[in-house]
Amino acid sequence: MLTRLSVLASRISGAFNGRALDQDFDREVESHLAMMADDYRRRGMSEEEARRTARLRFGGPTQTREDQHDRRGLPLVETALQDVRYALRTLRRNPGFTFVVILTLAVGIGAVTSMFTVVRAVLLRPLPYTQPDRLIEISETNPLKGWTHTVAAPANVADWRARNTVFTDIAGYIGVDNRGASQMQRFLSVNGEPQPVNGIATTGNLFDVLGVRPLLGRTFTWSETFDGNDRVLVLSYGAWQSVFGGDPGIVGRAVVLSGRSMTVVGVMPRDFFFPNRSAQFWASMGVKPDVFVRMRRPHWLTTVARLRPGVSLVQARDQMTAIATELERAYPDTNTKMGVRLEPLHDIMAADARPTILMLFGAVAVLFLIVCANVASLQLGRGASRMREIAVRRALGAGRTRLVRQLLTEALLLSCLGAALGIALAAATPAILLRAAPSALPLFATPRIDFPVLLFAAALAIVAPVVFGLAPALSTSSVDRLAERAESGSRRTTVARDLLVVFEVGLSVVLVVGSVLLIRSLIHLQQVDPGFAPDRVVTFKVTLPRVKYPKDTDQVRVFADLERRLRNLPGVEAVGATSTLALRGYTWTGDASVEGRAADDYERELRHESVTPDYFAAMGTRLIAGRMLNEHDDARSNVTVVNEALARKYFPGKDAVGRRIKFGRPQDSDPWITIVGVVADAKQDGMDKPARPEVYVPFAANAQNPATFVVRSDVDATPMVAAARQAVRAIDRDLLLTEVTTLDGLVRDSMGDERFRTTLLSGFAGVALFLAVLGIYGVLAYFVSQRSRELGIRVALGARPRALFAMVVGQGMRPVAIGSAAGLAGAIALTGLMESLLFGVTPLDPITYASSIGVLAASALGACALPALRAARVDPLIAIREE
Amino acid sequence: MAEDKSEILQGTLDLMVLQTLDAMGPLHGYGIARRIEQISEDVLQLNQGTIYAALLRLQQRRWISSSWGTSDNNRKAKFYSLTKAGRRQLATEAENWQRVAGVIGRLLRLSER
Repeated sequence: MLTRLSVLASRISGAFNGRALDQDFDREVESHLAMMADDYRRRGMSEEEARRTARLRFGGPTQTREDQHDRRGLPLVETALQDVRYALRTLRRNPGFTFVVILTLAVGIGAVTSMFTVVRAVLLRPLPYTQPDRLIEISETNPLKGWTHTVAAPANVADWRARNTVFTDIAGYIGVDNRGASQMQRFLSVNGEPQPVNGIATTGNLFDVLGVRPLLGRTFTWSETFDGNDRVLVLSYGAWQSVFGGDPGIVGRAVVLSGRSMTVVGVMPRDFFFPNRSAQFWASMGVKPDVFVRMRRPHWLTTVARLRPGVSLVQARDQMTAIATELERAYPDTNTKMGVRLEPLHDIMAADARPTILMLFGAVAVLFLIVCANVASLQLGRGASRMREIAVRRALGAGRTRLVRQLLTEALLLSCLGAALGIALAAATPAILLRAAPSALPLFATPRIDFPVLLFAAALAIVAPVVFGLAPALSTSSVDRLAERAESGSRRTTVARDLLVVFEVGLSVVLVVGSVLLIRSLIHLQQVDPGFAPDRVVTFKVTLPRVKYPKDTDQVRVFADLERRLRNLPGVEAVGATSTLALRGYTWTGDASVEGRAADDYERELRHESVTPDYFAAMGTRLIAGRMLNEHDDARSNVTVVNEALARKYFPGKDAVGRRIKFGRPQDSDPWITIVGVVADAKQDGMDKPARPEVYVPFAANAQNPATFVVRSDVDATPMVAAARQAVRAIDRDLLLTEVTTLDGLVRDSMGDERFRTTLLSGFAGVALFLAVLGIYGVLAYFVSQRSRELGIRVALGARPRALFAMVVGQGMRPVAIGSAAGLAGAIALTGLMESLLFGVTPLDPITYASSIGVLAASALGACALPALRAARVDPLIAIREE
Repeated sequence: MAEDKSEILQGTLDLMVLQTLDAMGPLHGYGIARRIEQISEDVLQLNQGTIYAALLRLQQRRWISSSWGTSDNNRKAKFYSLTKAGRRQLATEAENWQRVAGVIGRLLRLSER
């Protein structure tokens, strides 16, 4: 063993001292021969003969020397090192080529790696819980209400907990919007200065279900779910650091959360988040125990459950469906048609982002192939001009394998350099993403370069040269004789490069079509009428602490006072307040009955919004029929304004004004409410989603806290917000403005995902197109330079420049045409996959295809024009003299 | 075939080199080759160059070491000498060799009868 090690050590050191040891051995052989010759001379041989005999007896000094060299070092490593050294020298001699190739590869590898960091962050990296793949979200479904996955009713969840045998436990939480962002904004008072923090309210068993221990202190107990035991708080690591400066004595400390005094019982570890990073604290739900017994309506509890060891998701689904059926039988009043849906937690969290991310990753993979094709084309082009060198080396005895290995080493070196630069590019991704599209990624995902990402990039760096380097290496190394170099070699190269152009153009067409589809979707989306006038309107939310303003009447009075003060600010045109602003992802819904219908025929999923009379003016909502609300409408007037969607659905073909509805089922004892007006549909869930039936009830009749204020003015947003903040502080200096934005910003943010994917895909398509154009240009420029002699003869024989121009363009456009046709076929096959990402266009939209081909053809013609011009201007005298 | 032959020769040559160095003290490559030829009374006619494969192998195993010096005839030459490990190795190898030689000798005598 030791002996073998010392052999290895000596071989390694030998590999690095090759030259010195060779010289040393040469001297040794020389001395050996000299001494032998001395002996022979002494025996009477002539000088000449002595030397010759010595050489003979020694037996082939050169061979001995080479044999010695190989035994001394590591021959494989040595040739590899030699290849690398040689490659470096070659590349340094062609800085332009090297630069272009490395840059192209960096773009390709960088783009794929960037997208992979996103894929990994969103889809692959395990969530920071114990056995996260065993965590399931259970939601409720109801075909009657059009629910495909809705938050659960607490009493149903309690029954699930009691009856199931498939979960170790089920936890629930509230306070997130449909993106999972925390909507529970509170103010944490530390030394009297309230700081806004976001959090969620949970059942006491949440952390046990997640299987995560706190960093400090403890988490909740089940009994702390309920009112009376609920003054406990668990902090995120971030909140502990930023609000409390990492105070090590934080556990047990009393703090004030929006007016209520609470005790901090624990701090979670730094990596922990739930349901995402927007949550800075976890509070108890603090509900009456009764809620978990009786409340089967409304639905507001998001759940997370842990599968028992050995239980499969399918088994869990079966049992939960059976339980839902039992509940349906037991509580027909509330649970008719109420089903359950079980999905892995991670799938649910990533569901919205998945199609976009997979589409972009696919696109970037295509881009990578184009990059490889482009580099292959460049290699081939250079290979053609290296034919002579290769032919000479073959003639001198270099084996074909050796040459291929040499050329592949060169390719590998290029791709490693490209990958290094690409990783640097990819490292900048997370920061750029967060700045450019903060809402484009799910909130739980934090893209970063970690070990698997590096491994992925390294794999690309190794795969890439095989893709782009092998074919050129094989084709180049096959040159046999010097004679072959010029003609047949270059023709073969041209065919190969034409094929690569076909490939590049085809893939580019797919990307361009995809991006044009998205661009057209975005344009359609931007042209959608939101149902309100979003320009020059700022909005913000004000929350009145219940401790200070316990009664509804107090709250209505304060909000009215605030509305008045805002209205008096300079430049303000209209001010209104609402319980739930459009596009905020948060709504209240309930059943509704229409007067005159049968007792079992009622409407589900009616949206409620409480608004002050001027809300419509502030939003710029159009009146369609009847009247708007006014300051005389209150709890006793029983009037409401509805949207067009409601009028259409509840009173098809009839006038809705003057009709009565009630906010409950026919058998419920709610009062009848008269519809006094119909307003235009305002978008509620997104610009791409049709408006749902909605009622606007007088704020005075159904006061809500918090309220969102809408201020229309001719003042810029920033000074307007500043003035509004002063007005709020004038009423109560502890009140804060949250969710401050403009309506424009709100509309823009609602299209954040669309803009994100459109921008990225267009960027990829642009790069692809550029590379394809570069490829076309490269091939054609080479063609023209190879044929300059022929072109010169043609000119001399009287060919007109225009004909030559046309000939070259024709030569260049042939592979483009073939590639485009293939690309169109590919696009037709592939764009169907992105149907869910489109709005207002079909995957086979003819305008898209026509314009994509137009863009491509124009770019390709541009690429052909330059070489064609050069061909048309060939000077016959110079061209013919050239060879 | 040729490979097999050199394999046998390899081990033998290594042992001969070690033994030569043990007997003669530090010696250069030519000296070792000449000595082996003399001892074998020219039964073993080797290409003297092959001695260097053995010398390298033994050096890599740290059984011999080398340094440049001056020969009797005042020529610069590289001298090889046995290391401690080499001496130990020689003892083992020699013993092995004698055992094997003994066995083979007995075997041959047996079949002669």
